[in-house]
Amino acid sequence: MTRFITAAFAAMLALAGCDAVPGRPRPDARELAPTEVMAFETLYARNCAGCHGQTGRLGAARALNDPVYLAVAPPERVRRVIATGVPGTAQPPFALSAGGPLTDSQIDVLVRGIKDRWQRPGAVTGHQIPPYDGGRAAGGDVGRGRAVFASACARCHGDDGRGGPRGGGVADSSYLALVSDQHLRTTVIAGRSDLGMPDWRGDGGTAPLTPQQVSDVVAWLVAQRRPVPGRLP
Amino acid sequence: MSARGLGPVRSTLGWLEERAGLGGAIAPALDHPVPRSTASWWYVFGSATLALFVLQVVTGICLALVYVPSAEGAYQSLLYLNFQAPFGWFLRAVHFWGSNAMVAVMTLHMIQVFLWGAHKYPRELTWIVGVFLFLCTLGMAFTGQILRWDQDAYWGLGIGASIASRAPGVGDALVSLLLGGPIIAGRTLSRFFAVHVFLVPGILIGMIGLHIWLVLRIGINEWPMPGRVVTRETYRQRYEEEVHKDGVSFFPYAARKDMVACGVVVLAVVLCAVLFGPFGPHGVPDPTLIDTAPKPDFYFLALYALFALLPPWTETVVILVGPVLAIGALFLVPFIAGTGEKSWKRRPVAVLGVLVIVLTVTTLAGLGVAVPWSPQMEAWTAAATPVRYVKGRTPLELQGALVLQNKQCRTCHSLGGGGGRRGPALDGIATRQTRDQLIRQVLQGGGNMPAYGKNLSPAEVNALVAFMGTLRP
Repeated sequence: MTRFITAAFAAMLALAGCDAVPGRPRPDARELAPTEVMAFETLYARNCAGCHGQTGRLGAARALNDPVYLAVAPPERVRRVIATGVPGTAQPPFALSAGGPLTDSQIDVLVRGIKDRWQRPGAVTGHQIPPYDGGRAAGGDVGRGRAVFASACARCHGDDGRGGPRGGGVADSSYLALVSDQHLRTTVIAGRSDLGMPDWRGDGGTAPLTPQQVSDVVAWLVAQRRPVPGRLP
Repeated sequence: MSARGLGPVRSTLGWLEERAGLGGAIAPALDHPVPRSTASWWYVFGSATLALFVLQVVTGICLALVYVPSAEGAYQSLLYLNFQAPFGWFLRAVHFWGSNAMVAVMTLHMIQVFLWGAHKYPRELTWIVGVFLFLCTLGMAFTGQILRWDQDAYWGLGIGASIASRAPGVGDALVSLLLGGPIIAGRTLSRFFAVHVFLVPGILIGMIGLHIWLVLRIGINEWPMPGRVVTRETYRQRYEEEVHKDGVSFFPYAARKDMVACGVVVLAVVLCAVLFGPFGPHGVPDPTLIDTAPKPDFYFLALYALFALLPPWTETVVILVGPVLAIGALFLVPFIAGTGEKSWKRRPVAVLGVLVIVLTVTTLAGLGVAVPWSPQMEAWTAAATPVRYVKGRTPLELQGALVLQNKQCRTCHSLGGGGGRRGPALDGIATRQTRDQLIRQVLQGGGNMPAYGKNLSPAEVNALVAFMGTLRP
């Protein structure tokens, strides 16, 4: 017994000198202050996964793991959205300067990481991408937009956007009150491929929407905004 | 080594013995007769605790050579120990696991001693000194946790100080004594270093000496037999007779098991150190980083859980009066039941008491591990909406899922297992509440939930309730 204990001690002490001992802390295991974290995976998991999904798709908010979206949205706009948020929507600001938790360089890591991991060159080759910027300012026509909606969108979203068998209503005043014009435009252009919504090129049954048609249909959607009844905060 | 080679050693020892006479002084203690029944594996916990204390002293001295007891330097010196100093991580690991083992084995010792009736006449004072040792060891555990100068330490100290501040009349003075000022500052850590390294260990060494002296003087508690009742008149004589009739020399007959037990516990500590490594330091102790969930080490988890679960109106009373009563009761044990039956087989109240205390403490500690009351502050951005609740939802419902994230409902409510557990899980909420009930609950709160009516626009409420209406199994 005594000999066994002595031998076991010697073995332990010898092991403790090893690099590969399980108990030996590795330098990368050091706990970092929140503003020191520079690994994209950790930053994304802590700050973005809640809404945009663990893998960048199938979250409640727009999929970021989406080559079409990344081909449409310029990185500097992605950066601005992360940093300053979109007032009036569920996108909060993340920059320290705007009251968020992230430093500028951490936001750069996120923007670069999203692009490096999920952008695919050639995702939309052969097609002219409608410009990202737009909304009301892009000169859309409400009347033409309604027709565009009926031909391109109503099949899923129902007549006048009241909801159909394959897609929920988009003319709902509560929904429209919670999203920005740019959100509507981005969704029309880039779709939600993770949830089955095609991008501006459609699902093959119709011709791709022209930039003008995109602006028109967004103008029509924006025109559907109505005050939501209820007590205001 | 051959007998011939031992010659010089023997003559040196002989030279020393002739002059100092230490061997002659220790020999009676080693040879003193003890009842044969005490040479049992049940009697090893005291020696094992002592072995762990020696281990703590040795590793503690080594750590103190490197540790910087200042608020600026402490954290860096811990990192240096963990990642740079040769064997630094191992020392920290042994010291941490050793402290855990010491508290655990000491508790076993206390329970064994109590169940075997060793606190009864004439060993009352041994028990009282033992209770002091128990409190001092917990004091070492608390101060040691503070020296691991990380977020847990910082906030743990804050909790300690706010407990002290509740003492009527002397609260401020106590806080000042504890922290070296009104707030946690430069002096605080020096103070805890001095207490952990000089004051309490000094007291412990003295008390351990007294404890062992008492054990030697009065004799170790014999194995209790049901029906053999302790009385002040007959006990000592009967003990002398038993030792005289059926006694054995403590060394090596009874000490053998003690030594093996000491080896086993120290080996277990070293094994844990090698396998699991040092504990922490966790996040930087920066009071501006509030995004943290500090937790005490395991020996205080039960208290941590108790404080978290107490109704607020009872807090001051329980926090101030509770420890006084508990410690007072421990001291009074030998005076309440100082004679009579010793065997646990004939002491149902004692056995039930131990069971109730052990079960209460382990249940509370279990709750302290699970922390169901602790809000998950990071859940709103880190806990993704489960994919099954995203697929097939309308745009409005998806916006509702975003409201649920953005308004930080998941700080308290879990979804798919992710999120806080303060409030009920929202999975399947649609089967429990109607749309109107959901709206009322969100707007007006109720139960433990605050009202969110002022923080949500009508559109947000509509979206949120539409989403929750889809949460079915």
